[in-house]
Amino acid sequence: MLEQNNLVERLSLQAESFQEGFEILSKASSFRELTLNFAHLLRGNFIIKDLYLLHKAAEDSEWEGVGLDNKFSSSDLSYLSSSNNLNISYYDKQKFCASIVLPLSNLSFLGILLGLKLDGSAFNDFDKITLQILLQIFNSAHKSFLNQKKEKELIFGLNEKIFQLNHLIDTGIELSRFEKRSTLYEMALERISSLTNASAGLIKIEDLDHNPQQYFLFPSGTDLENVLKSELKIQTSFEHRNRIYHFVLSGKETRKGLTSFNELDQLLFEAVTRQVSTAIENEFLLQQSIEKELIEKELNVAALIQQRIIPKELPKIEGYEIAGINIPSKEVGGDYYDYIALNNGKVALVIADVTGKGISAALLVNTLNASLYSYLEFDLPLTEITDRLNKLIYRSSPSDKFITFFMAVLDPESGVLEIVNAGHNPILLLRKDGSLEKIDAGGLGLGMLDLGLPYSGQSLKLETGDNLFLYTDGIPEAMNENEELYSDERMISFLKNNSEKPAGEFINALVTDVRSFVGTAKQSDDITVMILSKK
Amino acid sequence: MSSEFNLISELKDKTLILRTEGYLNNVGGEQIVHKVSEHLNKNINKVIIDLEKSKVVNSIGISYLIDVIEQLNQNNGKLIFTNLDPTIEKTFKIMGLFQFAEKADSIDAALS
Repeated sequence: MLEQNNLVERLSLQAESFQEGFEILSKASSFRELTLNFAHLLRGNFIIKDLYLLHKAAEDSEWEGVGLDNKFSSSDLSYLSSSNNLNISYYDKQKFCASIVLPLSNLSFLGILLGLKLDGSAFNDFDKITLQILLQIFNSAHKSFLNQKKEKELIFGLNEKIFQLNHLIDTGIELSRFEKRSTLYEMALERISSLTNASAGLIKIEDLDHNPQQYFLFPSGTDLENVLKSELKIQTSFEHRNRIYHFVLSGKETRKGLTSFNELDQLLFEAVTRQVSTAIENEFLLQQSIEKELIEKELNVAALIQQRIIPKELPKIEGYEIAGINIPSKEVGGDYYDYIALNNGKVALVIADVTGKGISAALLVNTLNASLYSYLEFDLPLTEITDRLNKLIYRSSPSDKFITFFMAVLDPESGVLEIVNAGHNPILLLRKDGSLEKIDAGGLGLGMLDLGLPYSGQSLKLETGDNLFLYTDGIPEAMNENEELYSDERMISFLKNNSEKPAGEFINALVTDVRSFVGTAKQSDDITVMILSKK
Repeated sequence: MSSEFNLISELKDKTLILRTEGYLNNVGGEQIVHKVSEHLNKNINKVIIDLEKSKVVNSIGISYLIDVIEQLNQNNGKLIFTNLDPTIEKTFKIMGLFQFAEKADSIDAALS
């Protein structure tokens, strides 16, 4: 009884040191630190020199030493019980005082071999109880250590998720700001590798026949074949404007080596590749927008040039009325009309229609206009002028472009008209008596062929009350929403019914009538019309 | 598979200066931890990790940096990151590294 009381008293005195021991052990940040501190506690409590700490990860694992001076032999291991329950064995007059196998809460085991006490004594009751208490302290501290570790891992995992989300958002923003395409690919690879802990990444760009055109690798020294042949890889691809973009990530890293990518990695991977796809598309659209703006600027310039060619106002010819209008269907059209006062007092009336529209048609019109003015200086026969124009246009235009062309040279005094029609729709001459003549003699459109076929001319005389009506096919071929054409018949009927009107009024009325017929349908072709009336 | 990570170390008094180059991943992180462990016996009380030439880091690399922080804490040491890329600085902030480590604009600033 007295002995027990002594034990209790001594243990009570030890309580504070046990508490301190637990606090020291609880502060350990690694298992090694925990066990080494425990070794210090054991040495200090039992005044022993030799102490071996061992650990095995599982029931069937091998014992491994923990700490710096663990030079144990296989015969030492025989002291450790093979039981998987708590086992404490005490020895007398042997190499060790005690051996302990302590099962831990994570199903691993701590093995302890306590050497002889420095005073040579065996373990007494007090020592045995102290040992048991210390083992419990260790167990509790180990549980605390594991909980702290789990807590740290949980916090790390949560922070990692926040990092991934932030990184994904930042990546999308950064990718949209890239200036060079190569920077885009490099940045995308860096970001997605970082997000998924990939050890390497690859972007392969190939054409639709799968011929590779470019490779981008991260990190830069990575072996391409290793990435492509890796069994631990994920990949995705998209197509954009005749190119296929393949993305590959290989070798997800962990502390324990490479592993497979998981579902979250696949989601992040696809999110970033979509961002790359969007960035590429945006770059393409931006480029298109810039090109469109450039084209519009060019069209504006071409329109300005063309507007200078089209006469703003037709001059007055004594005894005649003349009016005309040109309404292009696009900013720059292919129709052209002009009035040219010649040196000999005559007047040339021209109307032309280039195949196609837009800037290329306008450039051809400019060529026609410039060369016509030049040839008219030389007082050449109309047929020869037309022939020369044909050769010029044939040489200077693409094979699919040609110009329908009508020119009439009026002698105002006599009313005689010299006419050439090169492929243009028949020009109408409405006589005062209501009879209608269609004038189409001439030849092929300018620029169609250069076979040396001569153009034929025609001569006729305007009498008082006669109207010469020049037009392009934009009038008869004007189409409404029901896909009905204005038609030659309607146009001729309008001409006959309105020929008494002054020239300017006639033109306006005709345009109004055509627009009324077309309604809300889009203007499909240039509208050009000119009228010459002899009063 | 090459990750092309390079680590240059320099000892100045009791400060270990590590300059990294390349992708700070598993391989890089291990090298840093190993180098710090080597020098802990030499009574260093400060470690400066200069990341000027590392623009990409993954969470495995960060976990090794956390190990370095814990090692230093046990020895009452200090860890300072220098020349951080803004993306990496943001990443470290989210991962909580700056609760236990510092940052400086340059190695000289960290040394002073």
